[in-house]
Amino acid sequence: MARLAGFCGFKAATIGSRVDLLQMQLIRTKLRSMVSRRLLALVIVAGVVTPIIGHADETHFVLTIKDRKFDVGEIAVPANVRFTLTVRNLDSVPAEFESNDLNREKVVVGGGSITVYLGPLAPGRYVFFDDFNPKARGAIVAK
Amino acid sequence: MQRLGLLVAIAATLVAGLGAARADFELHYPVVDYREFEVEHNGDTTFDKANSGKSNDQSYTVELGYGLTPWWEPELEFEMQAAPGENWKYGATTFENTFQLAPQGKYWADLGFFAEYAHAQIRADADEITFGPLAQKEWNDPFGTGVNTLHTLNVLVTKQIGRNRNDATPVELAWQSRIRINPFFEPGIEYYGNFNTIADRLTVTGPGHRIGPVIVGIYNFHEYGALRYEAGYLFGLNNATENGTIRWRLEYEKAF
Repeated sequence: MARLAGFCGFKAATIGSRVDLLQMQLIRTKLRSMVSRRLLALVIVAGVVTPIIGHADETHFVLTIKDRKFDVGEIAVPANVRFTLTVRNLDSVPAEFESNDLNREKVVVGGGSITVYLGPLAPGRYVFFDDFNPKARGAIVAK
Repeated sequence: MQRLGLLVAIAATLVAGLGAARADFELHYPVVDYREFEVEHNGDTTFDKANSGKSNDQSYTVELGYGLTPWWEPELEFEMQAAPGENWKYGATTFENTFQLAPQGKYWADLGFFAEYAHAQIRADADEITFGPLAQKEWNDPFGTGVNTLHTLNVLVTKQIGRNRNDATPVELAWQSRIRINPFFEPGIEYYGNFNTIADRLTVTGPGHRIGPVIVGIYNFHEYGALRYEAGYLFGLNNATENGTIRWRLEYEKAF
């Protein structure tokens, strides 16, 4: 009888330890999934916020199109710095800011404006033009 | 009887697998040219030993596209193809869509999304939907070298639908890096990989890897439009691929 009770006790203890092990594994899995979810959330937030923060103090330039001409022939920008260029079209007809050197091509509707995100650029001269009126030309000079 | 069934299954899978192994050597860029009309021609032909069954596999496409909005460019593609030792066939009519997800240059990389539906014109082929992300990164003046570089990556998943479909989910990777020396002539390197065995372990053909040099350029005629070109040679890197492939792209574009 005592042996039977001892055996039952041993069995109960074994089952108990297995339950504990299962519980431990369950807790570990939950913890891992919580950590990985938080890590994923952190990565997503960092991915979204970092570029926004990175552009907060961007250098800014303005280019105007009037009478189908650019108001500035040359824009000097610092090399290896990100910057934005706002192109305002004061004419009633559309224009297209285009530059093969800069790999940019963007239509500006009559009376509208666009923002072109550029850089960081290696030092050099980058020609741009109005594709609808190629006589209108200019250049960005990165120094 | 069981052996015969197995042989039929393997043969069917091989045929389906070979169909899926035919890579599309076309790199998609994540930037939409708003209000621009384009006519594009892509072509490729393979080279290998005459009796390998991998030589002279040809594909030619003509595409018509228009940048309808600053973020969406739909295109209609017509594809002709000739498998090794076979006659020319009209392969598929495809409706392609490129979505630009953010203004170019605003974030660390430019992101886009590509989705297409290809309607097979060959009776034994299945219709396909292909979709996936497009990414591009301008990396200028790397390590103070004074040159600007451009890197593009496509990760596209294909799923066959309708009759003749198989359950494989092939993934195609395309990557191109080029040096922006001059807009007329930008040399680079590109890789095309296709992985057929993601979900279909029975597919007999292995993954295909091809890598090689490419030149890209643009010539602008201004009020008469612009002409873009790409020409590359790809070396097959494993037994599943042919020894070499010539690929080219010619695009005429005009903004309205």
